[in-house]
Amino acid sequence: MVVHQAIRLSARILASLALIAAITFAFTRLIPVNATTTGFFYLVAILMIATAWGIVESTIASVVAMLCFNYFFLPPIGTLTIADPQNWVALFAFLATSLTASQLSARAKRRTKEAVERQREMERLYSLSRGLLLTDAAQPVGKQIVQQIASVFEFPAVALYDRASGETYRAGTEDLADVETKLRDVAVRSTSLQDSAATVLFTSIRLGGQPIGSLAIQGPALSDAALQSVLNLVAIGLERTLAQQAINRAEVARRSEELKSALLDAIAHEFKTPLTSAKAITTDLLAAPAGELHQHQRDLIGIADESVDRMSRLVSDAIQLARIEGGTFQLNRGVHFPSSLISSALKQMKSLTDGRQINVKVADDLPLVSVDAALIQMVITHLIDNALKYSPQQSAIEIGARSEGSNVIIYVNDRGAGIAEDEQSRIFDKFYRGKTERHLTGTGMGLAIAREIVRAHGGDISVTSRPGEGSQFSFSLPAAKQSSSR
Amino acid sequence: MSVGRVLVIDDDPQIRRAMKMTLSTHGYEVADARTGEEGLTELRSGAYDLVLLDMNMPGMGGIETCRLVRSGSEVAIIMLTVNNTEKDKVEALDAGADDYVTKPFSTPELLARIRAALRRLPHPDRAELQPLKAHGVEIDLSSRQVTVGGRTASLSPKEFDLLSYLLARANKTISHRELLQAIWGPDYGDELEYLRVFVNRLRKKIEPNPSQPKFLLTDAWTGYRFHLPQ
Repeated sequence: MVVHQAIRLSARILASLALIAAITFAFTRLIPVNATTTGFFYLVAILMIATAWGIVESTIASVVAMLCFNYFFLPPIGTLTIADPQNWVALFAFLATSLTASQLSARAKRRTKEAVERQREMERLYSLSRGLLLTDAAQPVGKQIVQQIASVFEFPAVALYDRASGETYRAGTEDLADVETKLRDVAVRSTSLQDSAATVLFTSIRLGGQPIGSLAIQGPALSDAALQSVLNLVAIGLERTLAQQAINRAEVARRSEELKSALLDAIAHEFKTPLTSAKAITTDLLAAPAGELHQHQRDLIGIADESVDRMSRLVSDAIQLARIEGGTFQLNRGVHFPSSLISSALKQMKSLTDGRQINVKVADDLPLVSVDAALIQMVITHLIDNALKYSPQQSAIEIGARSEGSNVIIYVNDRGAGIAEDEQSRIFDKFYRGKTERHLTGTGMGLAIAREIVRAHGGDISVTSRPGEGSQFSFSLPAAKQSSSR
Repeated sequence: MSVGRVLVIDDDPQIRRAMKMTLSTHGYEVADARTGEEGLTELRSGAYDLVLLDMNMPGMGGIETCRLVRSGSEVAIIMLTVNNTEKDKVEALDAGADDYVTKPFSTPELLARIRAALRRLPHPDRAELQPLKAHGVEIDLSSRQVTVGGRTASLSPKEFDLLSYLLARANKTISHRELLQAIWGPDYGDELEYLRVFVNRLRKKIEPNPSQPKFLLTDAWTGYRFHLPQ
């Protein structure tokens, strides 16, 4: 390539010298004219050389023309000396004019060439940006980007490394050796490097300060502005795809959650519909005035009624658990006082707690908690319900809340039979049934649901119990941050 | 003698049968419809006091049926829902229902809800029925009509009861519990979402700008107050 350029330059210099020689020969041998006319002809020739080729050729031609002018046309002719001092002035005026003219001409030519190149780059960038906007969603976008760059800029080889996918895409007629390692290296270091031997430029692609990949280009060098524009277009193209993929993923997840939610609603409806007519009938019969039913009949209907209730609870708990585990429920968080969560739960349990001794001990100045009140009340009511079921009628139940570090602990104590140590770690498992009668009337899902709800809030639930002395169920909730407390 | 005419709209034949049997035993005259569309036709042809409406039905669905029933009728509506979530309850009340019952429900509970929905406040004295005119709003309790900026809206019986109760005690804060027990009955008291939804419904009908109420004011944590301009 360099040799080729040197040969071309030498040929042009020779041609320039030949032109000067031809003028010299014509005006000394063929058409004798005065020195002034010859000088103008030399100037015209030098301007033509500067315009057509460049400053190197025109400068050499200027010096040679000056020497020829002196030797052949300024007296004493045939020597490089000048007799008349005025001719010195003429000679230097000629040299200065020819050098200046050739420089101006070459500069104008260079500027024109640069303007044309800029215009071409602009056209190519526009073409590239259009091409990148019209990418086909069915094909990898990286592949389309390199193909577009190679075809628009007519580069023999282009390669792109997309950091997000880890893929390298290539395009062009030539193959770049060992390109993947260099591209990764450039992307990681977030730098540029010029492979001078192969005239390949490696440069990182950044978006918002973050390296998102790298590009290798073999071919004529782009201006810095054009290269930066190409890199920006590639960055936007890659980022647009990532954004589109994220939107697609979110949409798929949303639809899947909607489907799960609709399915769970349908299951709940299908199970509860037959239970509704059964419950309406059993409760209507049980509400009949005394004497209308035999005690035996009343007992049998009572069993059916309890079974309907149990079946209904099972369906509700199973659906609730599926919803929580399937991620189709969302926490409807609000900032609440722990005391109001407890008092609301107690209010809901009023019919069951009537006649029982309930002690409420909520510490003063507890921090607020950011929770889904309905779900946390469900946890509290479940724990109270357990305490009521598994402790003697005359024993007291204590419900309280205290602060512990950055958490609020809500607890329910009973003085029931307690839970054996080996069972304590398993009672929060789904469908775990205790060895004693303790869990027989439950659905086996209540504590599992409570644990999932508490964990979804960033807390945890635990039990401490001693057989014969009672149990304490407690769960933690992170205190609301100051900024979100009001 | 019939204590009221009830239309049961539910797609499940067992529930319709069970409702017919149990409610008619307790003195109600019961008809049934399988879909929302059928229910609307039935309502146009007969005079009913109350509709028991299933929320989850194929076709038109319970919520849409409720809206259509409420837009042309003052009949009391109780929605039957499977989900016991706040969202479902508010959706049902927003659509115009007077109450909701979660499936499966006991017959005594349903009967209590029906009695509460059919419950009407004693008719106010004539003196209390003087039309109120202020801020471009005209409330005529005797005809249950409200005119705001030339647009006339009619009040459902529960909305009317709530408004006339507050209006009769104008400029005085009435607690949530008092309102719930006065309008729905003594079994109620904690159902704050009822009041929120009904007050919002009323504000949409009587306030020139419902988001900045001039008449129906909320007294935070306490209750509601009807502000009567002096």
